[in-house]
Amino acid sequence: MKRRDFIKSSVVLSALGAGIPSLLLAANKRFSFRNSAIDSDRIVLFIKMNGGNDGLNTVIPFQNASYYQERPLVSIPNGQSLPITDTLALHPALESWQSLFNEQKLAIIQGVGYIDGNLSHFRSSDIWDTGSDEDEELTTGWLGRLLELEYPGFPNNAPDHPLAIQFNSANLLEFKTSESNTALYLYDPDTMYSLITGNYVNDQNEEIPDTYGGDELAFIRELDYMSFNYSQVVNEAAQNAPNTIMNYPNTNIGEQFKVTARLIAGGLATPFYRLYQHGYDTHVEQLYRHEQLLSELADALNAFLTEMDALSLLDRVLIVTTSEFGRRVIENSSEGTDHGTSAPVLVFGSQANGGVFGVDPDLQNLDENGNLPVQFDYRQVFSTIITDWFGLGQETASNVFGEEFESIPFIQSQLSTKNIILPSKFEVQPAYPNPFNPKTTIHFSIPSKSHVKINIFNILGELIQEYNLGFIKPGDQMFTLNGKSLPSGQLMIQLITDFGVMSQKVTLLK
Amino acid sequence: MSNLIPRIKTTNANWPDRQAIRYHNKLINKYWKNQNDTSAEPLPEFSVQNRSSSQARDISWNMQTVSHLLKRTVTGSTLEEIHTLVNDGMETSIQNLLAEQELPPPPGEWVSEELPDWNSLSSEDIQEIIQSYHNRMRAFQRWWAQRMMNGEMNITEIMTLFWHSYFASGYSKVFYPQAMYQQNNIFRIFSMGNFRDLIRQVTFGPAMMIWLDISGSRKNAPNENYARELMELFTLGVDNYSQNDVVAASHAFTGYVTNGLQTNYDFDTMEGWGYWWTDWHDFDDKTFMGQTGPWTGDDIINMILDRDECAIHICRKIFKWFLYNEPSIDFINNMADVLRTNNYEIKPVLEFLFTNDHFYDSTFVGANIQNPVQLYLGSIKRLKMEYQPFDTNYFNEIQYHLGMVLFEPPDVNGWIGYRSWLNSNTLPLRKVMLFALIIHESPFGNFGSYLNIPSVAQSLVDDDNETYAIIQIVENLAFLFLGIPLNENLRQQLLEIALNGAEPYDWNINLPAYNAQWNRFEDLLQHIMRLPEFQLS
Repeated sequence: MKRRDFIKSSVVLSALGAGIPSLLLAANKRFSFRNSAIDSDRIVLFIKMNGGNDGLNTVIPFQNASYYQERPLVSIPNGQSLPITDTLALHPALESWQSLFNEQKLAIIQGVGYIDGNLSHFRSSDIWDTGSDEDEELTTGWLGRLLELEYPGFPNNAPDHPLAIQFNSANLLEFKTSESNTALYLYDPDTMYSLITGNYVNDQNEEIPDTYGGDELAFIRELDYMSFNYSQVVNEAAQNAPNTIMNYPNTNIGEQFKVTARLIAGGLATPFYRLYQHGYDTHVEQLYRHEQLLSELADALNAFLTEMDALSLLDRVLIVTTSEFGRRVIENSSEGTDHGTSAPVLVFGSQANGGVFGVDPDLQNLDENGNLPVQFDYRQVFSTIITDWFGLGQETASNVFGEEFESIPFIQSQLSTKNIILPSKFEVQPAYPNPFNPKTTIHFSIPSKSHVKINIFNILGELIQEYNLGFIKPGDQMFTLNGKSLPSGQLMIQLITDFGVMSQKVTLLK
Repeated sequence: MSNLIPRIKTTNANWPDRQAIRYHNKLINKYWKNQNDTSAEPLPEFSVQNRSSSQARDISWNMQTVSHLLKRTVTGSTLEEIHTLVNDGMETSIQNLLAEQELPPPPGEWVSEELPDWNSLSSEDIQEIIQSYHNRMRAFQRWWAQRMMNGEMNITEIMTLFWHSYFASGYSKVFYPQAMYQQNNIFRIFSMGNFRDLIRQVTFGPAMMIWLDISGSRKNAPNENYARELMELFTLGVDNYSQNDVVAASHAFTGYVTNGLQTNYDFDTMEGWGYWWTDWHDFDDKTFMGQTGPWTGDDIINMILDRDECAIHICRKIFKWFLYNEPSIDFINNMADVLRTNNYEIKPVLEFLFTNDHFYDSTFVGANIQNPVQLYLGSIKRLKMEYQPFDTNYFNEIQYHLGMVLFEPPDVNGWIGYRSWLNSNTLPLRKVMLFALIIHESPFGNFGSYLNIPSVAQSLVDDDNETYAIIQIVENLAFLFLGIPLNENLRQQLLEIALNGAEPYDWNINLPAYNAQWNRFEDLLQHIMRLPEFQLS
């Protein structure tokens, strides 16, 4: 087993216990990410389908006879699956995803995995989390390394907002750096806030013995401290969010999406959210369980995207589903499937390049264990997110993974962090079209980062809708108003920014 | 690792039907599974530079070293109990610690209750039975908690907990309380016994057969679940076996079934019986780790135990549970030698560990982040509140919210422990839920008081000692509840809170309970429970 010593950036990281983490308390404390090129308003949600999602029953080669031959009891019957191309169909529980695919908002990347796929849950999860090859063991997470590159010295000079929020257990390798863990574990912002404040003991300046006991003490102090600081920030965002308009399903994954939506809508600047759904290890009686899981996920995801759309935040988010491996092509005698290798990764978003990347699973050319071949290394997906979604450049991606991985063009509009010419003042263009039905777009420009809020008033001057765009970057921006749920007639659109307020009248003709 | 309860594909009237499973799952999701999931991926197995000095020296047997040992092997030892062991001396204390205990009577007659004939029952009857199963499991948790706090200076209950985490099997899938009890009992009986016997008993017990899908696995397409976890988690560790070995082993583990109470395995012949065995077991040759033959499950187990890595794997887990998360490879090898030389008897290994000066090295003091159950039960016992878990629902809340539900480990990996117990949710919860015992108010409702503060305070004061009572109280509370030894700053801080402006001589431990002085004691305790050091042992 190779162990790779990771090439750190040239910044020397402080040893735990020796340095005292200090938050950079800017005068204008709100919403500022310093020292980083992740200075966009783009967000990624990673959904881990824990246990090994059966990709073959998710994105189904429904015209391939082998599929039904190898899985007489476990295959989805022809006619029940939902076609999206001539040869591929989605699991019947995924109707909303079929719609998204037709709207070009779903990119399916086939055959994602790595060479010599490891069939152990824990080992394979570790591999995905750390961005390693099968035969090497890394001790930091790829996201941890990325965040460490962007925020050198973390947790010293940590930004005001959590870098990442995860909804499941702490100490996931994914976010781990050589010194620390960059993710904040969140269950519920309100509970968190009320629990933490008042129970924090400020002992940051106390000495720590140079023992293993001291190491653990330092870890706990740091966790205490970070939780304390971030709980305030998260609470602020949560209180700031407009009331949710969606009915999220009353499931664990539904709750995770709901809280994420609330924080994004409330203006939290955290770029990474890690959500979890357990139960995909379907060795036995797969059909029932898998269907239940997929429909829970699809419902929650759909509610989230709908809400983001309604709040005009959809362009900022990208959702990526992953799993530690796919499953064996041939079914077992317990009406289930065993561990496999590669599987599709699904990417959702208005900025995703809808479609299928890669070829259909080749059921004729399986490896010696009966598993599907790999078409794309999983690090290509992650690398693309670094370069195309966040616009951080190939060098950053290569630093994180130790080598270059070819990107896959599943992101539509790549973010570029090259210098752009900033407008000199706050300007608002007239809405177009006007009168409109159902949508109209307002272009506006702001000379530097600003909070932007939009209020909609009816003809009687009553506030009927609010949109909180959060703290957005300078330059030319636009806002699209969807009048579907608004009353017909004259409306007033009020744009409130740090530079002033501008209003204009528009007419909705239904 | 599937969550569904497998079915034997025969008309087996004793097997739960879909209705029963559905209702069971409903209760599980509502009351047993929480989002505060403390499952974690274990860190890669590597050993760091050993920080302790390794010269052979005599172990100093005093309050500090005894407390260090007891914190890891029994629940919530008090000052009196630590004193007793200091006086008894190391040899006697370790002997008592590792002595075989008389088996307790079971928590109820239900442990051997016959299985219902599900097909003949109405849906109301089914619901009633499932609910009774859940109630029994709750009672079983409390029964075990009571055993952990029984005040015996003996390691049996902690060893039982260790094996429970080691062979993690969960009630949500196993379904029958009888099976869960049977497994727990095996852990207790074989807690310091022979590992080969233990793993056979566990493998062929109804709980494990259900949990890892051994039951019903057939030769035409066997299920790989048990074969893999047997090697990866229970005996050899990742990378010490191949996928071919998994396939071969899975063919060997065919033909065994259970209905939740009985199995078709015969411990004497080491084979299954019945048509499940004759029709489903693969009698052909398999090649496992280079050896070919018509292997059965027992053969696989024996071949695995022959491998050097097996003893190392077991000893590493023992070390990690009892001492620290980062073992030194040399020490583990020494432990493994003891295990092999003693033909896989566990007791000599424990003896070796607890009489070795490595165990008592000061670098390990406070290095263990306590698991929630021992944190809670230990605190209750030290505060002399042993009735607390049973009269209220609070023990359920503790398990559920702090992420350690007895009989429901988060996954096959058991509880990784250490830092996985703590995150930005469970850490504040641990503080708040523990000092709820003192202020009688919790995030989950208020409850009555079982805390007799003057009595606890008096037990912390030695009248023969000339130091002021309040100073003794501060120092002894810190000694019992804080993992890291007090430094001068913290000591001052705690004293200030306790005194709150008064002088040490103002403190009178004979004042009645309603006197305002005792509010300071509450404040002191509450502050102690807010400190990071409180989480360590």
